[in-house]
Amino acid sequence: MTTMDSPAPVIRRPQQLAPGTVAVVVRLGLIACIAVLLSSLSPTFATTDNLLNILRQASLLFLVASGLTLVIIAGGLDLSIGANLTLCACLSAAAIKATSQPTAGIAVALGCGVLVGLTNGVLINRVKIPPFLATFGMLWVAQGIAYWFMAGQVVYGFSPAFRFFGSGFWLGVPVPIWVMLVTGACGVIFLSRTTIGREVYLMGANEAAAVLSGIPVARRRTLLYMVSGLMAGLAALIYVARLNAAEPGIGEPLLLPAIAAVLVGGTSLFGGSGGLFRTLLGATILTLIVNALNLLNVSATWHPFVTGAIVVLAVLADAAVNRGARR
Amino acid sequence: MKTRHVKHLRLLSAALISCGLSAAPALAAGEVIAAFTKNQVDPHFEGVRAGVEQMAKKMNATIRQYVPTKPNNITEGMSQLEDVGVTRPNLVLFMPIDPKAQLPTIKRLIESGTPVLNYNDKAGDAPYLAFVGQDDYKLGYDIAKMLFDHLGGKGNVVILEGIKGSNTGDERKRGFDAALKEYPNIKLLASQPANFQRLLGLQVMENLIQQHSEINGVIAAADASALGAAEALKAAGRGNVAVVSINGVPEAVEAVKNGGLLAIAEFNGFKIGCVATEIGLKAIRGEAMPKRVVIPGAIITKANHSEWLVPFQQRTCPAAADYAGH
Amino acid sequence: MTDQIVHAALTAPAAALLRRIPGVTFILVGMIVVFAIGNPRFLSAVNFTNIGLQSSLLLMLALPMTLIILTAGLDLSVGALLGLCGVVIAELLVAGWGLPASVAAAMLVGLVAGAVNGVLVGYLGLPAFVVTLGTMGLCEGLSLVITNGDPIGGFTPALENFYRSTVFAVPTPVLVAALVYGLLSLLLYRTRFGNYVFAIGGNKDALHLAGINANLVHTGVYLLCSLTVALSALLLLGRTNSAHPSVAVGMEFEAIAAVVLGGTSFEKGQGWLFGTVLGVLAISVLRNGLNVLSVEPSLQVVCVGLLLITALLIDRNRKQASQNGA
Repeated sequence: MTTMDSPAPVIRRPQQLAPGTVAVVVRLGLIACIAVLLSSLSPTFATTDNLLNILRQASLLFLVASGLTLVIIAGGLDLSIGANLTLCACLSAAAIKATSQPTAGIAVALGCGVLVGLTNGVLINRVKIPPFLATFGMLWVAQGIAYWFMAGQVVYGFSPAFRFFGSGFWLGVPVPIWVMLVTGACGVIFLSRTTIGREVYLMGANEAAAVLSGIPVARRRTLLYMVSGLMAGLAALIYVARLNAAEPGIGEPLLLPAIAAVLVGGTSLFGGSGGLFRTLLGATILTLIVNALNLLNVSATWHPFVTGAIVVLAVLADAAVNRGARR
Repeated sequence: MKTRHVKHLRLLSAALISCGLSAAPALAAGEVIAAFTKNQVDPHFEGVRAGVEQMAKKMNATIRQYVPTKPNNITEGMSQLEDVGVTRPNLVLFMPIDPKAQLPTIKRLIESGTPVLNYNDKAGDAPYLAFVGQDDYKLGYDIAKMLFDHLGGKGNVVILEGIKGSNTGDERKRGFDAALKEYPNIKLLASQPANFQRLLGLQVMENLIQQHSEINGVIAAADASALGAAEALKAAGRGNVAVVSINGVPEAVEAVKNGGLLAIAEFNGFKIGCVATEIGLKAIRGEAMPKRVVIPGAIITKANHSEWLVPFQQRTCPAAADYAGH
Repeated sequence: MTDQIVHAALTAPAAALLRRIPGVTFILVGMIVVFAIGNPRFLSAVNFTNIGLQSSLLLMLALPMTLIILTAGLDLSVGALLGLCGVVIAELLVAGWGLPASVAAAMLVGLVAGAVNGVLVGYLGLPAFVVTLGTMGLCEGLSLVITNGDPIGGFTPALENFYRSTVFAVPTPVLVAALVYGLLSLLLYRTRFGNYVFAIGGNKDALHLAGINANLVHTGVYLLCSLTVALSALLLLGRTNSAHPSVAVGMEFEAIAAVVLGGTSFEKGQGWLFGTVLGVLAISVLRNGLNVLSVEPSLQVVCVGLLLITALLIDRNRKQASQNGA
């Protein structure tokens, strides 16, 4: 079809694929392999219900990891996302209970998330505290406030209208999956089609060059931490709506899986490369593996081992691809 | 609950300042009691803390609460025991995060002259003032039997276990297994850890639903994982599956009322806190007290649930004498 | 005027030392004063023993971590590896291997983990965060698989006796940590290897150009860390008197925080080994003091975060002040 419009046929040399494309193809291939293997081993795997179930679990992981992906591409790190999610969940749940208005809860969750993100951003980019320590400190502060606020209680029982975001279906597909697809698409467009988005990569790859080309790096990075907080707030809403409850232990166990999802997806911690679609693949792979182990009746004690192995394999695969590309 | 959070929202801005003030140790009136709980997440322990506070107030003693900053963190729990030894409280109410790890430390604390009462979970063999708690094995056995009878003695069930290695989790599991042996027509499809957690309960259940087309009953080792599992079942259109659990925190009791859960074996933190405090205080005040108080757990069902719907702070402590015979 | 006098009074090395002292030192001194006023028993010998014991294990992880951070890396696997080595020693002891053989096996595990981390980071140039996050999962997973999630107890009491023993009233674990500090200090400041460690963080390529096998040195740092961690498992077992698969998971973050609090930076090979001791002490003193003062549990969590942020805020301000002054 391309030759139709081009008057002079161009002779194309078989070009080498960009390492990024290879990384995505490798992951899609891995997912396909696991899928084929599983559907031959377990009759329940390839059912619509099970696939939607996997995607719904992956979508929750993706939402927590999505903001983190942007921060990492720009050369930062956010360890506070889990605790931030906890705090947003607790405050917003209490707000909904107090006002009977889901909108109040949505405002509180997103506002709280952005505020925590802003604090991170200022500490890291204005005060110049290393991201690892600033966000690790923030983890404790947010978690502590959540404990204090909840005082050992659970806030539970929400209206069906609010719960729709977590457990509802639209066109037969769970709402969290739609949320994942919409935010993922927005993020991909932001990163690839906007100037600020492309600047994110430059900041991560070469900070000095970014400063020289006039990018307000500190302000841009602060913005990204706010986006990371916003996504933690959004994820908090989905979690509360899904679980029908908010408790102060909700977010912390999600931190390492979220980081793993970003890394297994192939976003580099050195900054400057990666993307949201990859994180989506990473989250899917991690969820798929756990689903597979369950369907094959493998004891749950194997989950951390297999997850660790997948992380190591992913980084080795990328290294091999990068070396191949460099040669 | 509602008013409490409205108040909290209003106070949020002044939070850190007021917290800083309340952090100063309260003026001691009578004995100082150091009360240990395992985490700030599970409402069961909030029940324990509420019971301890109420009884201490009634008996004119001061409570200091110790909870690890990371939920159920063993080494932190040990450090806190060591640090509390320095403050020389008149009484320590102790529940182990891990009995094997903490036993040597608790023995040294007792040897140094601090009276220690063991409550909630059994903490191994040491010269405690007394043990106050419930029989986790029996709770597990009773609730499993109740479910199996409800199913007419046949059907497919899954078990959502607690934290492996914790006395509570292991004993409950032993109870489930003992009941299973008595019902040859009940088939155990899977037994997986849900670590007393809600999200894990939900996700483990979601996966089990995909694996097994016919599940008739679910036994969870704690309310939080049972509530998570019930959510998963409801979302999958299998709301008719009978879910039972152990604990009886108000949220779960409300679910019993609404039919989300079939029944709960009562593991009552509030009562344990009350009775432990009363026995401990009376013992150090020189009264002869029983060495072992096992509070019986009722089976909470739709028929009798109202007693457990009351928030912890509004409940009234029972008298220890009510249970001393058991 | 006065400024000039002060400047003149400080000889160059003293001024350099003052500049080197991380901001956390001031917080540490401030905390000690506040806690001592809050409860005079904070300054008791018993409490110093507590702080010493509670610091020693974290110090054993944070000291070699300092070297890794000097090479612009980090090691997230130390907590999980500590747990795994503990599990290995305990399992083998229970199986009747005897202490030397069990420890040798744990050292072998440490060697393998360190080699995997070191080769992937040092030779292949992969990001340390990702590599060690992976080995963290592998180590935690292996401990879970080996133990099936259950704690292991009932091995020789020799480890606990060793942990609780004292030499001239100083707890043995503190001496062990001091010994490790001394050895690492010699290695870092008195050997060529130490120079290379600083150089890797500053400019690894320059080291290559100078004809030095920088990759080998880089790998060696990870090996050193993992071997120290494997030995630390003896202290962990002595402390907990049992082995738990995931008891130490999460300690890696505190160790890294302690190193950075101590003034070692993630970039450019700048750091100070003794600063790490101060960082570890700050964390331990804070946690101990909050317990001794019976600060409300939720506020304790906030305080840990505030310590990290405030200490680094002070560092930044001083750095800016010195830059403006220059």
